[in-house]
Amino acid sequence: MHAVHAGYTIIARLKDDCVGRVRELLAEFRAHPERMPFASALTTHFATATVLDAQRYGDEELPATLMLATSFWGPSRAHEDDLVRTLGSALRALFSHCEGFPASCSDAELVRFLRAHRHADTFYSGMHHLTREDVLRHDELRAAIETFVDQQQATDGFAGCSAGALRREIQRFVMREPTLAWAQAPWQPAPNSWLARQWRSALVLALGGIYVLALVGCTVALAFSDSTTLPLVVACGWLALIIPLFAVFALVVGVWDAERQQRYTAGRQPDADVRSLAATQCRPVINEMTIANRIKDGAARPLVLRIALWIVARAAEGVPRLFPKGINIPTVATARWVAIDRGRRLVFISNFTNAAEPYVRDFIDIRLGAMRINLSFGFGDGYPVTEWIVRRGAVEDPNGFINVVHANQRHTELWYCPYDHLSIDNIKRNRAIREGLFGTVTETEAKAWLQLL
Amino acid sequence: METLAKPEIQGLIVRGYGRLPSAQFLLLEVRDAVLARGYLQRLCERGDGISVTTANVSPDDVALHVAFTAPGLVQLGVPASAVESFARELVEGMDEPTRAMSLGDQGVNDPEHWTWGREKPHVLLLIYAKDELMLAERVDRERTALEASGFHVIVAKHTAPLRADQKEHFGWKDGLSTPIMEGSERAADPHEVWTFPFRAGEFVLGYRNEYEAYSESPTVALDDDPQGHLPLTSDGTAKDLGRNGTYLVYREMTQDVPGFWKYLATNSREPGDDEVTRAIALGSKMVGRWPGGAPLVASPSHDDPALSNINDFTYHDEDQHHRSTACPFGAHIRRANPRDQLPSEHDRDDSIEMVRKHQMIRRGRVFGPPLADSMDPRDFLAKRDEPDLGVRGLHFICLVGHIGRQFEFVQRAWINSPNFAAMFRDADPIIGVHRPPPDPNVSDEFTCPAEPLRRKYKGMPQFTRLVGGAYFFLPGMRALRFIARHPLPL
Repeated sequence: MHAVHAGYTIIARLKDDCVGRVRELLAEFRAHPERMPFASALTTHFATATVLDAQRYGDEELPATLMLATSFWGPSRAHEDDLVRTLGSALRALFSHCEGFPASCSDAELVRFLRAHRHADTFYSGMHHLTREDVLRHDELRAAIETFVDQQQATDGFAGCSAGALRREIQRFVMREPTLAWAQAPWQPAPNSWLARQWRSALVLALGGIYVLALVGCTVALAFSDSTTLPLVVACGWLALIIPLFAVFALVVGVWDAERQQRYTAGRQPDADVRSLAATQCRPVINEMTIANRIKDGAARPLVLRIALWIVARAAEGVPRLFPKGINIPTVATARWVAIDRGRRLVFISNFTNAAEPYVRDFIDIRLGAMRINLSFGFGDGYPVTEWIVRRGAVEDPNGFINVVHANQRHTELWYCPYDHLSIDNIKRNRAIREGLFGTVTETEAKAWLQLL
Repeated sequence: METLAKPEIQGLIVRGYGRLPSAQFLLLEVRDAVLARGYLQRLCERGDGISVTTANVSPDDVALHVAFTAPGLVQLGVPASAVESFARELVEGMDEPTRAMSLGDQGVNDPEHWTWGREKPHVLLLIYAKDELMLAERVDRERTALEASGFHVIVAKHTAPLRADQKEHFGWKDGLSTPIMEGSERAADPHEVWTFPFRAGEFVLGYRNEYEAYSESPTVALDDDPQGHLPLTSDGTAKDLGRNGTYLVYREMTQDVPGFWKYLATNSREPGDDEVTRAIALGSKMVGRWPGGAPLVASPSHDDPALSNINDFTYHDEDQHHRSTACPFGAHIRRANPRDQLPSEHDRDDSIEMVRKHQMIRRGRVFGPPLADSMDPRDFLAKRDEPDLGVRGLHFICLVGHIGRQFEFVQRAWINSPNFAAMFRDADPIIGVHRPPPDPNVSDEFTCPAEPLRRKYKGMPQFTRLVGGAYFFLPGMRALRFIARHPLPL
């Protein structure tokens, strides 16, 4: 089974007057984690549960919503089963306050409810192919090896050893250590992992490639064919290719036109609000942030936002051959963007290394990063004025960007993280130690591996 | 390049007064705002001998600067709306609980142990002089004037005269990496790879910063400045109180010099023929430079006097070739300024672009007697077990356009993070908070990369201890005139 990461995002509209009760319930679960035992749901890396208040969007009322967002590994059906099996009663208690939830539902009905309310998201993971057990075991392995190395160094046990000999000593230690028996088999992602991660891009590339090749072939064939229908087919084929591009261009122009009417409106937020948010997001190593914002006015924006998020999603998961590794955001464990309410509201959830304030700074310290931020956050209401979606915005007005983040950050009611002592760089380093522990390597490679310790 | 309005800027921003080796910092309480404003007015005038030193003057005898905390501005009558428009960090103070936790001010550094800073001083007066005699004379004069002008001197912070060798108490040459600001007198060598100038807005409000934007500046309502002391903001809706001013971060920390050298001598496993050599080697790994100042990346194996002043060095290439075995990722100067090799960034250019946005101009001075006048490690080690009654340390002072983005970011994300550069239990070995087990966030280790295997040092005690601190606003001259004359006399 592959261990590709994905986001599982449930969006459920709350019944009238249930916002307070659900918040109380989430507070109870936060105080008593055993009542919502994410620790038992082994397919889960991180989880956020929060209430999004009702909000105005022009004449529309965007409804109060319960959002449950997990980061999980493996097939989604296995994750659903895992959630229902381990968190069933907590999920029932929560969703009983949501519209359409069947009273005293069975497990099968609960699964159906989850599937019916699962929402598409744009998901980024900085730790693909690792299960929760992998993350914790890799750390355990690294700690055991470090202790062994420390002991040996204290007694000059490694004196005069070459890098290769040292690595063999460490291998022997792992082989004879019963608690590390699991580490004696080589570790690597499942062979089909790339496909599980990038199948959407692969499908688009494959279908697009076939279509374009067929179209070019037909176009060339025009020179050798007397058929009267072929020119029509070719013309239609080219139109079918060009019209969507024009449509996207027209939408972008529509956004550009709306951008000219923009006004930056966020402004500095009350210090007490910012302070209270900062107090919840300054854990020593890893933190969570939820930002929810209605998007700016403009008829084209909801659709363009979803197109932009689709592009970000492909960049995040990578494209076979062209961009196989995908984007890398060094301080982020997982992140997701969710366009809810038919694209009228954008939610961003991230699990990251650092405290919230410096993390947000990380987004925009590099000009290219600020342009990427414009591509998603730039649709949000109050955001600094953008131009052609990615220009200006946070690039030219970093203070404005920080203000709009402060204005829309939420107090996350419930957050689960099993790795509160590990940064994303720690997780990657542990994985590299695990991957390089066994197998034949050169002396140079052995030296490089030893530097990981 | 923007031109600095030097007559409007306090000189401390552009020069550290190497020619004025004696200094004293007075922390003041305002007891009578009317009288106090009168004193401040005199500081704004020129020619009567007690004016604030501006950046267009290079004094060779005495210099004086003044800065304010948020409560100090309130006490002096600055409108509340104007005070609230200052950076949140200044308004809330350094000891605000979340901030203190984020800065690593916990345990021995917890504000509850501070000797000053919890009860905020109102004003900071910094006096520099060419010698101790002139300093004493000037301080006496100011103290008399202050006491007669509605101020109370809470405490006078003495400093030790600057040493010709520029060494701080642990024995390392200091103050070598202060960034060069555009428009200041320090010239950057265009051929150097790191020491290119930084945008003035990184350090002075009202100028473009490294984002090509302006840092947020405090403002005053138009009606609150009828005498027109202050310039208009760019949109003309208010008066700019911040322009030509900056934020001043002041942290007083003591240094356990005998304890530091004892730890080095007892624990060092670095190469060396004798205890002293090995201790120096480990200390240099912790600092990132040799005691004489030569950076480890430029001179990995020995102190080199020819390299004692260089600031033009980077880490990226060294790491590519030697896997940072010369200068550990966790070394103090690398954490404080990772230059072109910020471990969390993709490449050299990204590192530089990011690191340039987290720089500080440091203006610290040491206090207390050195453990040994010679600053020779042998002499330090000879005294390691003797009773040490000396209190010594550093008045850390830095100037930044944005406290959160510059000082606090560096302190939190680089200096004190045990996970910096994918490490697990290392904090800055010199000034970091060293939390021993069973603390869930252990940070008392130091990793020395080496071939073939790193050397790890554990159980590091605390070598520095924070005893006080506060954030101040160092105003431009027009803002100082406004503060001195507001509210208007009836």
